Amino acid sequence: MEGDVAEKPDGVAFLLLLPTLILLLALFVGPVLYAFYLGLTNIALMGPTARHFHFTGMFNLHRLVRDSLFWESLKLTAIFVAASAIVGVTVVGMALAVLIQHAVAWLRAVVGAIVVVAWMLPPLTAALIWYAFSTTGGTLSLLGGSQLDVLNTFPMFVVCLANIWATAGFSMLVLSAGLRSVPTEVLEAGRMEGASRWRVFCSLTLPIIQPTIVTNILLVTLLSLANFSLIYIMTGGGPGNATNILPIYSYQQALVFGKLGYGALLGDVVVIIATIFAYLYVRVSRITRMAAA
Amino acid sequence: MLEHRRRPLCIAALAVAALTVAGGTSRTAQAADKTVISCAYSETYVFDNEDLTKKWWGGIKADFEKMHPDVTVQLVPIQGGYDDIVNKLSLLYRSPATAPDIAQMATPTVDRFASSGYLLPLDKYLAKTDWWKKFPPVIQAEGAWQGKTYSVNTGENDSMLYYNVELFKKAGLPVPWKPTSWNDILAAGRVIKAKLPGVVSIWILAGTGSGDNTVLMGVDTMLAGSSTPTIFDEKTQKWVVDSPGLREVFSFYHSVFSEGLGAKLSDLFSTSGVTAPVFMIPKNQIAITFGSNFYGGNWSKLVSTPYWPQAPQVAAVVPVPTVNGKAPNISTTIGGWDLAISATTKHPDLAFELLDFMMNKENQINAANWAGFVPADTDYVKDPSFINFAAPYNELSAVVLPDGVIEPPSGDYLVWSRGAQEATGALAQHPNTTVDQAIGILSDYVKNQLDPSQTEVLK
Repeated sequence: MEGDVAEKPDGVAFLLLLPTLILLLALFVGPVLYAFYLGLTNIALMGPTARHFHFTGMFNLHRLVRDSLFWESLKLTAIFVAASAIVGVTVVGMALAVLIQHAVAWLRAVVGAIVVVAWMLPPLTAALIWYAFSTTGGTLSLLGGSQLDVLNTFPMFVVCLANIWATAGFSMLVLSAGLRSVPTEVLEAGRMEGASRWRVFCSLTLPIIQPTIVTNILLVTLLSLANFSLIYIMTGGGPGNATNILPIYSYQQALVFGKLGYGALLGDVVVIIATIFAYLYVRVSRITRMAAA
Repeated sequence: MLEHRRRPLCIAALAVAALTVAGGTSRTAQAADKTVISCAYSETYVFDNEDLTKKWWGGIKADFEKMHPDVTVQLVPIQGGYDDIVNKLSLLYRSPATAPDIAQMATPTVDRFASSGYLLPLDKYLAKTDWWKKFPPVIQAEGAWQGKTYSVNTGENDSMLYYNVELFKKAGLPVPWKPTSWNDILAAGRVIKAKLPGVVSIWILAGTGSGDNTVLMGVDTMLAGSSTPTIFDEKTQKWVVDSPGLREVFSFYHSVFSEGLGAKLSDLFSTSGVTAPVFMIPKNQIAITFGSNFYGGNWSKLVSTPYWPQAPQVAAVVPVPTVNGKAPNISTTIGGWDLAISATTKHPDLAFELLDFMMNKENQINAANWAGFVPADTDYVKDPSFINFAAPYNELSAVVLPDGVIEPPSGDYLVWSRGAQEATGALAQHPNTTVDQAIGILSDYVKNQLDPSQTEVLK
């Protein structure tokens, strides 16, 4: 009932939200729409069309459809986001959250602090740590053989690991909060009926915190989609095009090849994908709130 | 209470504001009295270190302002690497309010800035100088677009072959070494590998890590000495994606990496791959290096990255030969940094006067020594202050310069370059990659990015 009242349009609320709306329109929606327009022009960083560019209709879109590197890049983006965000971060974040919940207080504090510090590090630092760790002469090569070059041999695997390492702390915090919200009497009831710890976790804990897990996956997906710096610093999209995810490919087209129009179009694709995930996030959040109410 | 506490704060704030306004007005008035000429330049990329950048540009400002008390030279340093400089300059030029009167720019970008309408033709000024006519034609051409000259060169880089005398002697190879063909280089590399395992036999950059520098110091330099050195066919206006010359170059790469003569991937694919040999050669880690002219200056006491006084005795240098020793048996690309004047400058004569001042002998030789350049002026390269700064490297770099070739002056060259980077990267990473496959990688990349109709095969 309260929820219904809150959903009704309110003139005062609208007035109070108006400054935010104006700022969002001016600083977010406006530039995004302009970027969509630029994506359909021949604007270049330099050259005759740097200042005197014009609308080119479907030309860039036709090129996008025929561009085999774009499709490859889209596939790599999906792999990066799925492997590092959905599988890696959620599984690692959940494992950390569960372990920390059952750990002694001092261990919980130490592990929690370390994981959160890794999350707080700037992408530049995280990238440099993983670059030094995974190339020849780094820690990994010292452990596994002096010529071992994991980064250049398994580039996507290593950048996914680096992303998991850098963002697992966020998942751990979110999922820890979810785990704390599980009523203990429900878990105790399960155990009294003879369910194993694993069964209790799978059949009771996971369903109860499902909205938190989905929210976490969506947020980490959005964070990973925008994670340009980590891959750019570690591999620059290479070797070859092995880690050339969409944000990197967009940068390359716009600011290396100087094709701003096509680069903007590639950026627009990222915006569309992010918008879909953001919409899903809002939907899930609403369902979570309604379930809680 | 709060009101009482606020009052002194308000007074203090008003006082600060008044002082700021007064100071600002005073500075504005001072600036209004003087003519301001702005200079945009790289702070972190062009000179060998930031101290030398500040020393050179600071010296230009101080000396020119002393000569012209009514002029202020406003320095606009740009931080970052090659792409950052290009991007920042592009943004500055978009508005006449921010366009620098004088800008330092990489030679391959001049035509794109000129075709944007950003640059002032300099022909009428250059005709009156005594230094312009002493530039080799190939360097004069770097600043030209559609028959007019828009920039002047302030230093070039070219490629040379370094070899480690101590390692050569240990391996029983002749010293001095005078390779006359690419096969001579491979033959020496094979001896090094057999006699000195653990040493990089032949350092040649590959992959995408170092961007276009990889191609400049590798594929382009070798292609210049191949049987068909064309990258862009001026007659057909098409990009060459397969030719006997390209196959000769990729065949050399194939031999280097399939026979284990090359460097580790982590060194080759690193963003610091361009400068890695400067540190590895003094440690006797590389026997033969396809390197740049700037190495010698880096080993000097002034630059010291690292200081290596034994360099002239240990690191010998020869021109990169052509594929089969065809005269003059020099293969190199050249590329450097130019100075250009904005088309929207309010003071074109004064801007050129400042540019002319930068081009004097002392300033140009300092720039060459502090940035690892070869001066464009054919008189300056003979000056002992240049030759002796990094002997024997500077002298040879000046000898090979006039035979150098420049990159095709087109933005799409970077697409071709990226294709070549990926092809060499594949040859280095997967030694079983064939020459046909490497050609396929280059060809597919260029066709995908541009259009198949913009490419051609030379027989």
